[in-house]
Amino acid sequence: MVTVLDMPETTSPITLNQPAPAPEPEVERGMIEIDRLGFAYGNHQVLHDVSLSIPARAVTAFIGPSGCGKTTLLRCLNRMNDLIDSARITGGAIRIEGVDINAPSVDVVDLRRRVGMVFQKSNPFPKSIYDNVAYGLRIAGVTKRALIDEAVERSLRSAALWDEVKDRLHVSGYGLSGGQQQRLCIARALAVEPEIVLMDEPCSALDPIATAKVEELIRQLKQQYTIVIVTHNMQQAGRCSDHTAFFYLGRLIEFDLTTKIFSNPGQRQTEEYITGRFG
Amino acid sequence: MIAPNHILATFDEALSSLRNSVLMMSSLTERSLDRAITGLLQRDDELCAIAIADDEEIDQLEKQVDKDGIDLLLRFQPVASDLRRVVSAMKLSSNLERMADQGTNIARRARKLNQHPALPEAELIKPMYTHAMAMFKDAIDAYVREDVQLARAVVPRDQALDDMNSAAGRRLIDRMAEDPGQLRGYLNLIFVSRCLERVGDHATNMAEDAVYAAAAEDIRHQHSAYAESK
Repeated sequence: MVTVLDMPETTSPITLNQPAPAPEPEVERGMIEIDRLGFAYGNHQVLHDVSLSIPARAVTAFIGPSGCGKTTLLRCLNRMNDLIDSARITGGAIRIEGVDINAPSVDVVDLRRRVGMVFQKSNPFPKSIYDNVAYGLRIAGVTKRALIDEAVERSLRSAALWDEVKDRLHVSGYGLSGGQQQRLCIARALAVEPEIVLMDEPCSALDPIATAKVEELIRQLKQQYTIVIVTHNMQQAGRCSDHTAFFYLGRLIEFDLTTKIFSNPGQRQTEEYITGRFG
Repeated sequence: MIAPNHILATFDEALSSLRNSVLMMSSLTERSLDRAITGLLQRDDELCAIAIADDEEIDQLEKQVDKDGIDLLLRFQPVASDLRRVVSAMKLSSNLERMADQGTNIARRARKLNQHPALPEAELIKPMYTHAMAMFKDAIDAYVREDVQLARAVVPRDQALDDMNSAAGRRLIDRMAEDPGQLRGYLNLIFVSRCLERVGDHATNMAEDAVYAAAAEDIRHQHSAYAESK
C-alpha cells in the first residue's frame, strides 16, 4: 500500500507544520471540532456561532433547507471558500486533530489532501480513468510507476469501481456512466489517502441504482475515513449516516445520532423539516 | 399537540383517512362489546347474533388499515412523529380487531348461557365490563388527543381488572362445587370473565401505543422487566 511517507518530497512537504505527534487513540483520529464558527460572504452572514464535534470514522450528514449554510460549512472544512474573494471567517475556529486549519502555518494544499472532496456533479478530468486517479499522486510528486499502479488499483477497488473498469483503464473517464464517473471522482479523492472525505450531494445526479452503489460505498469507506455528507435526501441521510446535523438560517439547530433525529428529534424545527412541514 | 399541515396535502389526507379508519374500528368494537354484554345480561339472543355479525366489518377494516398504512409507508416514507402515527395506527387496529374477537366470544358464550336458567353470578361480569370499557375509552381518547398522561394512567388500571377476574374465577369455581348441575353455565361465565380481562390487556396495549405515538417512548413490559430484576 502506498503511504504518504513513501512519496518523495519533490513538492511542499505534506504536513500541517506541526511536530510529529505522538500516536493518538484511534477514536480521536480525524475528529473535527467546529467551535463557535461564524462565516460571511461580504456583509452577508451565512453561518452563526456553529459548534459541532464530528466523530472520526463515522458518517455525519448535514441537512437543512437550501441556503441554510450546510454546503458553506462543508467547504470551510477544507478551506474551499478561500477561493471566493468575499468569503471570510467572522469568528470561531475549526480544528482537525486539534490543529486550527485556518492558522497561517497550515499548508492549504496539504489540508486539501487530508480532507478530500466529492462534488454534486461528477467532474472527471478529460483524461483516462487511470490518469484521473493518478492525478493527485503525480501532483504530490510521486513518480514511481509501480507505486502509482498500486495506488490506482487500491483506490478504484475502494471506490467499488475496479471490476467495472480494470480492462479499460486507459480509456477516457468521460466514457463512464454518471454513477461510475462519480465513483471515479471518489477514487481520485481516495488516491491521496485523505483522512476525511467531504461529499456535497454526491448522489443528486444519479439514478437509484448508482445512488445505492455510492451509498454502499460510503458505508464501507467509513471503516477507514471520516465522512461528512451534505444531502437534501432525507432517506439517504437516514440510511447512510451515523450522526445528523440540522441547519436552518445559518444556525445549527440540532446534532444527534441519526436514529434519534429521524425517530424523535429534540427540536420542533427539526421535526417540522424532516416530516415535510417546514415553511 | 396537533402538527402543522404537511407540505404534501395528500400525505395529510392519507394519514387522516388512516386515523379515521382506526376510529371507525374503535366505535364498532365498542358497539360490538356493548351488544355482547347486553345480550348476556338481558338474555337477548338477537343482540348476541348482531354482535357476532359485527365482527366481519371490523375484520375488513383491520385489513383496510393495514393496506392504507403500508401504502402510506411506501409512498411517503414518513419519519419521526409521522412514522410513529402510522405504526401506532396499524398496531391499534390489530388490538381493536382482537378486542372485537373477545366481543364475539362473549356473545357466543351468552347464547349458550341463555339456553339455561339465569345465573345470579352473571352480575359479577358487570363491574368488570364497566372497568374494561373505561380503560378502552380512555386509551382511545389518549390516542386521539395524543394525551401521554392519560395514556400512562390507563396501564396500571389493568391490575384491578386482573384482580376482578381472579376473584370472579374463584367465586365461580366455588359455585361449581356447590351447584354442579349448572357447571356449564359457571364455566361459560369464567370464559366471559376471561374475555373481559383480555379486553383490558388490549386496552393497555393501545394505551402503550398511544404513548409511543405521542412521546416516542416505549413503555411496554416495564413491569415484567422490573419483576425479573427483583
